[in-house]
Amino acid sequence: MKFKKKIASRIKQFREELELPQLELAKLVGVSRQTIYYLERGSYNPSLTISFKISEILKKPINDIFYQEPVIKDILEGKSLAELREIAEIAGINLEKLASLSEIDDEELTKEFREDTLIKIALGLGVDFKELFEKEVEN
Amino acid sequence: MKSIGRKLIPLDKNDFKNLTLNKLVKKKMSEEKNSYEGSISSSYKNKELLKSILVLGVISTVIISMAIAGTFLSWWITPIEWMYLMFIIVYGVCGAIILIVYIYNSAYARNFTYKISENHIIIKHGVLTKIVATIPYSRIQNINIVNGVFDRMFKTFTVKIETAGSSAAAASAQKGIVRPEGYIPGLKDPYIIEKKIKEMMTKYSAVPSGLEDKIFKPEELAFDNFISYILSKMREGEKLMTSITELREKANISAAALAEKVGVPLQTINYLAEGRYNPSLALAYKIAEVLQCKIEDLFKLV
Repeated sequence: MKFKKKIASRIKQFREELELPQLELAKLVGVSRQTIYYLERGSYNPSLTISFKISEILKKPINDIFYQEPVIKDILEGKSLAELREIAEIAGINLEKLASLSEIDDEELTKEFREDTLIKIALGLGVDFKELFEKEVEN
Repeated sequence: MKSIGRKLIPLDKNDFKNLTLNKLVKKKMSEEKNSYEGSISSSYKNKELLKSILVLGVISTVIISMAIAGTFLSWWITPIEWMYLMFIIVYGVCGAIILIVYIYNSAYARNFTYKISENHIIIKHGVLTKIVATIPYSRIQNINIVNGVFDRMFKTFTVKIETAGSSAAAASAQKGIVRPEGYIPGLKDPYIIEKKIKEMMTKYSAVPSGLEDKIFKPEELAFDNFISYILSKMREGEKLMTSITELREKANISAAALAEKVGVPLQTINYLAEGRYNPSLALAYKIAEVLQCKIEDLFKLV
């Protein structure tokens, strides 16, 4: 079992370190400002050439600027404590174990959580199981 | 001899893990502390009681006065026994309705809670059907504080939080047919709420969606697009070099197996290897993960 991941970025942080406005960065990369805005929000999956360009301008390796983040982390952070308690109850686990989902990696996920628990968590979150987790392809 | 006293049970490693609160839970708890919660004052039910008494009082008076007037003007004759019966029925029904409305409204006031949290306003209300309305700050357009005639009698206020909803709902809300999503009646001090909402909005909300276009001036946008166009033309000479084939062979994975693991057609891998395709970052990450290397090792922009 693996987390479904999406691309998140630290562009904003690095850009502010260099005191580079959004528009300037956009011009340097050769994209519109909206693209940079969406990239910073993490709601856009950039092409590799754009990623290289940004890493060149910000002088940071791609791995530092763009990182993969489990989709579930974002969703868990958007929930209130009361809602999290409810979801934990639905899944039949305690709150701390549910919250640990936002920190563990793929390997621990398989060890710590059974598949039916994960299905129940997805159910509690009101999201399709496939949007949060993916099964590994057998060799 | 039996041992007296409590036996010490060693703590499980997992118990320890649960004792130290997880980061996310801690964060949520601090969020909970920062948020502002409240319910509506009980004057609300008194206000609604007065309203219903007035409305039903007028209706019952009209019905009865019509019956009396009709008899006097000899449109019809109402026997005196019927008159008494009518008095009892009309006032009895009105009284029952007022009682039901009062019970309903006191339940409504008791169940009504609102919470101004870091990300959104949550309003929970409803007697028979429970409703939890969540309003994100980015959708709030304006906050109106209403103080009607009845409100003034009981020294309460109504806060209406107007949101950017569907056009039909907005139109009917403007005409006053439908209550806006953020409707908080019976407040003693509405300015605390207004202040708190504004504070949260400036403190936590990012640029609201849609605003990124508004910041742009048209001439700026034109210039921006022009520059982008020139730069993209300049970039056409750039080529994405890849060492995907070498790394794949080093890791002893066939092209077909790689395609399957990454979840793309084989053709995509072939195009990539030939340098004819500019992949998305997500795809590049997936390939790098399978081949266990860095993206910079895998691709190079020349």
